[in-house]
Amino acid sequence: MMEPVLSVRNLRVEFPTRRARLVAIDDVSFDILPGEVLGMVGESGAGKSVTGTAIVGLIEPPGRIAGGEIFLSGMRIDNLQPAAMRRIRGKRIGMVFQDPLTSLDPLYRIGEQLTETIATHGDLRGARLRERAIALLSEVGIPAPEQRFDNYPHQFSGGMRQRVVLALALAADPELVIADEPTTALDVSVQAQIIALMKRLAQRHRAAILLITHDMGVIAEAADRVAVMYAGRIVEIGPVRDVVSAPLHPYTRGLMGSIPKLDGGLDRLVQIPGSMPRLTAIPSGCPFHPRCPRVFAPCPIHRPELRPQATAKVACWLYHPAPTTEKETAAKLEGSP
Amino acid sequence: MTAAALVRAESLGRVFDVSSPWLTRALEGLPRQFVVAVADMSFEIAQKETLALVGESGSGKSTVAKMVVGLVPPTTGEVFIDAMPMHGRQRGAERRRLRRRIQMVFQDPYASLNPRWRALDIVAEPIRAFGLAARRAEIAGRVGELLRLVGLDPADGSKYPHQFSGGQRQRIAIARALASQPEFVVCDEPTSALDVSVQAQILNLMRDLQDRFGLTYLFISHNLAVVRHMAHRIGVMYLGRLVEIAAADALFRAPRHPYTRMLLDAVPDLDMSGRQRKPVEGEIPNPIDPPKGCSFHPRCPFANARCKSERPALVAWGAAGPVACHAVEEGRI
Repeated sequence: MMEPVLSVRNLRVEFPTRRARLVAIDDVSFDILPGEVLGMVGESGAGKSVTGTAIVGLIEPPGRIAGGEIFLSGMRIDNLQPAAMRRIRGKRIGMVFQDPLTSLDPLYRIGEQLTETIATHGDLRGARLRERAIALLSEVGIPAPEQRFDNYPHQFSGGMRQRVVLALALAADPELVIADEPTTALDVSVQAQIIALMKRLAQRHRAAILLITHDMGVIAEAADRVAVMYAGRIVEIGPVRDVVSAPLHPYTRGLMGSIPKLDGGLDRLVQIPGSMPRLTAIPSGCPFHPRCPRVFAPCPIHRPELRPQATAKVACWLYHPAPTTEKETAAKLEGSP
Repeated sequence: MTAAALVRAESLGRVFDVSSPWLTRALEGLPRQFVVAVADMSFEIAQKETLALVGESGSGKSTVAKMVVGLVPPTTGEVFIDAMPMHGRQRGAERRRLRRRIQMVFQDPYASLNPRWRALDIVAEPIRAFGLAARRAEIAGRVGELLRLVGLDPADGSKYPHQFSGGQRQRIAIARALASQPEFVVCDEPTSALDVSVQAQILNLMRDLQDRFGLTYLFISHNLAVVRHMAHRIGVMYLGRLVEIAAADALFRAPRHPYTRMLLDAVPDLDMSGRQRKPVEGEIPNPIDPPKGCSFHPRCPFANARCKSERPALVAWGAAGPVACHAVEEGRI
C-alpha cells in the first residue's frame, strides 16, 4: 500500500458568527495517493472550496479548523505555524484557482512571476532560472515560450493564462496540486485542452491532484476517484466510473439525473426539489433528508456515517442497518432532560 | 414556416468602435479599430418554437439577443416581430405595443434584479409600465399568480432579492418576464450562473411555461447539452456569423460544419462510453483582426487554399439545414 500524499482525517471547519457557530465542513476524511486525481464535486455551498483552503491553511479568520488532522506525506500540517506553512505552500502544495486573471499579478511580466516562484522555493539562479521557467512554459503548451516570457498577463487569452497558472503551480515540483474550478471560466473547447494537460502533468510529475469542481463532466473525464459533497459532508466517495454510472446516494443520483445529456432529446430533466440548506439551518440526521425521495424513519434522526458499499463508500441508511428502532429513539428522547 | 414566423432577422449586423481615445490615436499614430460583433445574421423563429444560438465566448450570441429585443440598435439589417420592424420609426404607441410582446431573461440573476425593490414590485413593474392593470388589488392578485406560476410562494413577494437563492432569483426574473404576457422571450444564458440541480428546475419550468402559454423562445447558451433539452432548432455561431443552422435532432445526429463537430466532440462524456474527448486545437481568434476567408480556417482540419481566401456563404447543400463551409459544399467532408 502506497503512503497517501494527502490524508485528511475528520476535518471540521467552523465559522463563528454573532448568532451561531456555522459548521462549513463536518467530519470529512479522505486520502489521495501519488499520481491520483481525486475529484471533489458538489453544488455551491457544499464546502468544496473550504476543504481546499483548509488544506493549504488559508481559511480566513474568524473561520478556523475546529477539529481533525491533515497530513501531507505523513507530516501533520494543520497545526503548523504560519511561517512553516508558507514554506510548504507553493513548494510542496501547488494551487490553481478558477480565475486565472486574479491569480496572476497584472503588473508583472509572466516570466518575472515564474522565476520569482522558482527562486523562492529552489536554489536556481540567473540564466538557469530563466531556462527552467521557459521549460515550464513549453511543458504547459505555450507556443514560443522565449517570446511569451516577457509578456504581461493581459496579453494572454483565458486558456493561455490558465496554462501559465498551471506552470506556476508546478514550478517547485509539488507533491500535491489543489485545483479549484480550474476550467470553469473557460470555453468548452479550451476546457478539454486544460484537462488533458493537467492529467498528463500529474502523471509525469507523480503529483496528487485534488480537483474541485461543480462540473460532473470534468470529473468524469479527469478524475480517478470522486468525492460527492453535500452540506459540508462527503456523502459518497468512490471510483469515478462506478459513481458516475451507478451512483448510490440519492443525492448523487439526483445530481447525475439533472445534468443535461447530449443524447437526451427534449425530455424533462430529473429534478431534485428544493435547494441546498443554508449553513444556519442544516437539517438534523442526514442533511439531505428533506429533499430525499427515499427518506424513511431513521433519516431525520440519525446521521449516517460514510461506510463501504460495493466499490464505493456511501453515507446513507438505505445501505446500512439503522442504529435504533423508532421505539428506542422515542425512549431516548423521553430520557433526555 | 415563413407564414408563421413570429420573429425574422434580416442580415443583422453590429459593429462596435473599440478605438483608443482620440488623443492617444493622434499621438501614437494608431488607426481606428472596429469589432464586427455580428455580421450578416438571418434567421426566423416560428410561433411556439425555440431557436437556440450556441457558440463560445466572443461569438456574438449576446449581441444578437440584445438586437432582437431592441436593447442594441443594429448597424445593418433589421429585426421584424410579426412583420413589424423592431428598430424602424414607429409611433410611440405602436412601439410600446410591440415591446410588451417581447421580454428578456438575463444571465445573472444577481445583477438583473434591483436590490432595493421587493420581489413583488419587481414583478409588478411591467404590469404598471404597460398599464395592464390599474387597481392595486388587481395588480397584487396578478403578481401573486405569477409568483405561484414560477414556483414561489406569493407570501415571499415582500422579500428583497438578497433573501432569495440564485435559482429563486431566476424564477423572479422569469415571473417579471411573463408579467406583460409576452409571446416572445429572449433568454440569454438563463441557467449558466446556477448549479446543475437548480438548472434542471429552471429548464423544466421554462419548458412547462412554453407549453402552457405558447411562448416562442430565443435561447442563447454556450452549453450544447442544455440546448439539446430546450431547442427545436439550433444555430451555431462563430466569430459573429452563423456557420450552421439545423433542426436540433439533425444537428446532433449529423453535425456538418467542422466547428459544430468540434464543439460536439469537446462536450465532456458523462456516460464514460470511452468516446475520447478531442481537445480542440487553438482558440477563438481576436475579433478585431479575424482571419481572412472562412474565419474558422486556422483551427479547421479540412481547410484548403480556398478556405483561406474566400468566405463561404450560408447556403443549404442538400436536404439538411444551411451550412457555411467550402468543404461541405465541395463534398470533401
